[in-house]
Amino acid sequence: MNTLADTIKKTNALFCLECGKCTASCPIAQVNNSYSPRRVVGHTLVKSGDDILEDEMLWACLSCKSCEPGCPADVDYTRLTLDLRARASEAGLHGMCTHGGALQALMRIMTTPDLKQNRLDWLNGDLKTADKGKVLYFVGCAPYFDIFFSDLGVKTLDTTRSAIKLLNAVGVEPVLMANERCCGHDLLWSGDQENFLKLAEHNLQAIKETGAKQVVFSCPECCRTIKEDYARNLGNLGFEALHISEFITDNMAASQSLFPTNQRQEKVTFQDPCRLGRHLGAYEAPRKMMQAVPGVELSEMRMSGKKAICCGVSNWLNCTTYSKQIQVERLRQAHATGADTLVTACPKCEVHLRCAMKDPNLGDELKIEIKDVATLAAEALA
Amino acid sequence: MERSRRVEPFEQILKQPGVSLSFPRDPNSEYAVGRIDTSPCRLACPAGVNTKAYISLIAAGRFREALEVVRETNPFPGICGRVCVHPCESFCNRAQVDEPVAICRLKRFVADYELQHPQEPAGPLPVTQKEKVAIIGSGPAGLTAANDLIRKGYAVTVFEAMPKAGGMLTAGIPSFRLPRPIIEYEIDIIKKLGVEIKTGKKISGRRAIDKLFETGYDAVFIAIGAHKGKKLEIAGEDKYEGTLDASSFLYQVNLGRAPKLANRVAIIGGGNSALDAARSAVRLGSKAVTIVYRRSRKEMPANEWEIEDAESEGVKIQYLTAPVEILGRNGKVTGMKCTRISLGEPDESGRRRPIPVQASEFTFKAGNIIAAISQEPDLSFLPKKHEFDISKWRTFNVDESTLATSRPGVFAGGDAVTGPNTVIDAIASGHVAAQSIENYLNSQSLQQASDSKAAAKTSSPGSLDQLTLDSSSTTDLRATSLNGSGRRPDEFEIKVDIGQNRKKLRADMPIMSRSARIAGFDEAELGFSETAAVAEAQRCLRCGPCGECFICVSECEKTVSVMASTDGRRDALLRLPPEITTPNLQSWPLDGILNVGRRKPIPVQITPTTCTVEQEICRGCGECVSVCEYSAPMLIPKPNGLHVSIISERICRGCGTCVAVCPSSAIVQQYFSEDWLLGKLQSMDQTKRNVVIFTCNWNGTELVPPDLEAMSQPDANLIFIRTTCCGRIEPSFIFRALEHGADGVLAAGCPTSACHYSFGNRHATEHFSKVRNMLNLLGYSPEKFQWTWPDKNRDDGFIEAIGLHLRNMRDGKSCSEFVDENKTRAVTDA
Ligand SMILES: Cc1cc2nc3c(=O)[nH]c(=O)nc-3n(C[C@H](O)[C@H](O)[C@H](O)COP(=O)(O)OP(=O)(O)OC[C@H]3O[C@@H](n4cnc5c(N)ncnc54)[C@H](O)[C@@H]3O)c2cc1C
Ligand code: SF4
Ligand code: SF4
Ligand code: SF4
Ligand code: SF4
Repeated sequence: MNTLADTIKKTNALFCLECGKCTASCPIAQVNNSYSPRRVVGHTLVKSGDDILEDEMLWACLSCKSCEPGCPADVDYTRLTLDLRARASEAGLHGMCTHGGALQALMRIMTTPDLKQNRLDWLNGDLKTADKGKVLYFVGCAPYFDIFFSDLGVKTLDTTRSAIKLLNAVGVEPVLMANERCCGHDLLWSGDQENFLKLAEHNLQAIKETGAKQVVFSCPECCRTIKEDYARNLGNLGFEALHISEFITDNMAASQSLFPTNQRQEKVTFQDPCRLGRHLGAYEAPRKMMQAVPGVELSEMRMSGKKAICCGVSNWLNCTTYSKQIQVERLRQAHATGADTLVTACPKCEVHLRCAMKDPNLGDELKIEIKDVATLAAEALA
Repeated sequence: MERSRRVEPFEQILKQPGVSLSFPRDPNSEYAVGRIDTSPCRLACPAGVNTKAYISLIAAGRFREALEVVRETNPFPGICGRVCVHPCESFCNRAQVDEPVAICRLKRFVADYELQHPQEPAGPLPVTQKEKVAIIGSGPAGLTAANDLIRKGYAVTVFEAMPKAGGMLTAGIPSFRLPRPIIEYEIDIIKKLGVEIKTGKKISGRRAIDKLFETGYDAVFIAIGAHKGKKLEIAGEDKYEGTLDASSFLYQVNLGRAPKLANRVAIIGGGNSALDAARSAVRLGSKAVTIVYRRSRKEMPANEWEIEDAESEGVKIQYLTAPVEILGRNGKVTGMKCTRISLGEPDESGRRRPIPVQASEFTFKAGNIIAAISQEPDLSFLPKKHEFDISKWRTFNVDESTLATSRPGVFAGGDAVTGPNTVIDAIASGHVAAQSIENYLNSQSLQQASDSKAAAKTSSPGSLDQLTLDSSSTTDLRATSLNGSGRRPDEFEIKVDIGQNRKKLRADMPIMSRSARIAGFDEAELGFSETAAVAEAQRCLRCGPCGECFICVSECEKTVSVMASTDGRRDALLRLPPEITTPNLQSWPLDGILNVGRRKPIPVQITPTTCTVEQEICRGCGECVSVCEYSAPMLIPKPNGLHVSIISERICRGCGTCVAVCPSSAIVQQYFSEDWLLGKLQSMDQTKRNVVIFTCNWNGTELVPPDLEAMSQPDANLIFIRTTCCGRIEPSFIFRALEHGADGVLAAGCPTSACHYSFGNRHATEHFSKVRNMLNLLGYSPEKFQWTWPDKNRDDGFIEAIGLHLRNMRDGKSCSEFVDENKTRAVTDA
């Protein structure tokens, strides 16, 4: 592993001007004044040795990257967080897991080599898939989420079914892997490098065995993790990683009649998932796919695109009153657009925003129809 | 091989004698100490003596503490232990098994124990009140009131006409039943507290009562007893020498001035006085002593056991016989003319009315005739014209609940009100009088100065209030729960499992031989030995079952409060404070602390199992509020416009169900931390098949009974993890167990109907169903994780469930018995 000095060098932390732009743009810092990314950078530089690992604020970051675009010194704050958490975790220090750590435990169970999962039970006859082929669809943990979050009315499998429908509609029968594992995103960001690598190696091997040249995701976390973190840790992938909206918009021209014209009217707004937007830079593709659907009118929230606020929790860590405040603010922004539907492109956004909507005191003020961009598009298919 | 101790489900604990702490980590539950009803014996006692508590303490060999318990409500344990008519025994549930517990004799035993192991009696109590109280009569009624009042801080003077204190105890009851040193010893204790007893000081004269008020007394209690023998009202009654009345006869006997009696003595009457007079006559050397009674044995007011004793000493009883004339010659009694009696309809006393049989008269020869028909209060001390309301039986008419006479500030009780009655009733009335006098004096000073302090003093200890329990308020609490209920012994509602008990007759009372007995006035019954007393006390079934001996409180220094709910009908539940619990179940011998027990107090570490919400973490989702049926959590507004949950420590019962549903893991339940869970999971043995068994407190045990070990397969390593309620078993527990290498996980709790918290089980089922479905996705076979709701009333239900789980795991087959089929349909088919 890297030394602390390596990390500081690699993340440009040494060049921090202490201008505080990061703190000013950080959603957590807006609501929790004991958190400041600037201060964490400062502490990393000032504190001797590994003292910084004791800082609880290490675990408050959402890794949403809101702070990075404005940084004049180009400090890679999220990378700094990632490295410091890995070191802290090695030293036996952990963040506070939500749900008693059930999801992290589930992911670690998935590192078991000889699992024989039934994770594709949700496929139905209408969905065309293949065992071998050029395009692979990486499902992610949606089947597990739908059970675990059944009380919230979470339906992330609608998204995965929709993604396959869209792929079928552009003439692709994607490969699905019955022995796919969790991508390891949450373990990685929780500091569990060891188990992350086990999952990464397993998945990479499995993908390679299918011979796929393009891997399509409806979960931007999986997409970011495989595209960047697998590549960084395990070398050249040998395939292209794309979000479903990117793949569909790339292939849309080929099939003109994808969405029939006689559509209902639907006013929507869009929540840019931090992994899809700021991490992968895909701001346009989801919007383009949405707007290709006749009758869909997109109305942007006050903060969107590069400035979009994150859904308030990531990596099943640190779900707090501050998360809730961010979520409530985001839902109010969505309502302010007058949209009927809040469209997102990440299953986690759906889980977290739905949870926030359950507030017994704010009630209808927060309630809004929530839908994945893939589902919105697939509903409009001929 | 000895079976390891199981921590029983609460209902089972209830069946056991004594006090048990059901779950050291769940003491906040009102079940911590289960006292669900007052035992019938105690309900039967007019003075509310805490019978069950002292019996339990004797059973545990704690004789001194037992005596203290008796003294709280009865200042005369040695006296009552000998002569009490013990209505408690008539209602004792043990009688349904074999014979009632010898409740009365056990009281004598502890009193005797103190005589044999003397202790410095308590010194004078400080006088804290300005008012003074005068008591007329030093019988049990007067002295009980004096004892209570001096403890309340009043200066008390008792006026006694006779040269010795004690009333009928001294003047009436003969010493072969009640040795004088016993009376003197117990009266002495009261004197040492500061009560002044002026003997040989008869209150009488025209202005007797007025003078008491004038000489500085603020209230008066008349407890003069009923000493005046009633007349036979037949011809020849006052004509001949040799006719006596029982009370003066016994009085003389008791003062050692016994008259010389003839060989043939007739005693007229059927009460205790008649029996005592007859037995005294036997001891004085009379050869033919006969009791003449006008009804049958069934109607005789004397106690059955006394009749038997008298008969065994040679006393004859002529039933259905009444004298009509006293006969004599030369101024001396020679006998009486009697008539036979037949019994008619019951009269107002419920006894059948005696009707003389025509022409059945006969002559009964006797050299002495002792009339023991009844007594009435001697009202000669009152002037001819007085303000008291007197009944046709020449007793005082008083307000039933306060004992107030028609003159303000004057109260009357004991035999003076009831006519000849019993010692324990006299004691009970002494308590009432003392309380009324205190209330009266308070209201007096209240009127004078509307003193708010006095108001606080009179208010009774509140129901459902948290009472701070130092040694003095222990007594208060006991006293209120003692006398306040006003229930009858047949209102005892708890079913006592009679069939469970093997027959074991009561301990034999060693008694002097007949010849030794009748040779003098020494006490006939010799008293229990220690072993006999303990064995006898152990016969008690502990109906109720906690006896409120409060030993648990004094044993555990950390215990600072007790919750008593007195809803009038039953003073039901006691709560230990929320803080008391233990960090390590195995190392805490439960029966060491709370089973009224043999050992020294054990230091207890304090950890509440109640839940608290971390305010910065809570997202105000209200999940906790919606699951908790006790309404312990509540959402309150925060400055940031959101809400935050707070859990009331007082209401929370520490089940932990809310912890398991909180998405943010914002709720902390003491003890059941992440470290606790991981610590338990560390005991995995990778060379074996590890089976993690989560149980709720009420169903499982952490200690593996040997027979369970025997039935598990040799390669299985069982790890028991116990929570308060299965509602606490959240999905992460199961995932973590599997993550740590468990080969199988079993969750066992109580069926919904029997869930201790009534709702934990329902939520557990939801969690378990989710986990099962997720494990199915992972490709785990269903026997990897199972759950079951064994019948906790069946001792082996839990063990059987584990056995079945282990077999299923080995055989790789799922068992439908475990699976709630409705819940396991895949929620994945949308
Ligand atoms: C022979 C006999 C045997 C009994 N056996 C039993 C038994 O086995 N079990 C049982 O429970 N009960 C028994 N009793 C009944 C029991 O003793 C009485 O019910 C009880 O003592 C009543 O208590 P008391 O305080 O009301 O009155 P007492 O005990 O009668 O005391 C009244 C006192 O007041 C004094 N006094 C009266 N007038 C004045 C005055 N003007 N000034 C000052 N002092 C005055 C008297 O001298 C006396 O000492 C027995 C009674 C008798 C007579
Ligand atoms: S990544 Fe997001 S949460 Fe973390 S410091 Fe930057 S802005 Fe704040
Ligand atoms: S068995 Fe014990 S508690 Fe029950 S009535 Fe008898 S003495 Fe009282
Ligand atoms: S369940 Fe947890 S997050 Fe929700 S209100 Fe209760 S304590 Fe707060
Ligand atoms: S649900 Fe939570 S708040 Fe309610 S009693 Fe149980 S532990 Fe306490």
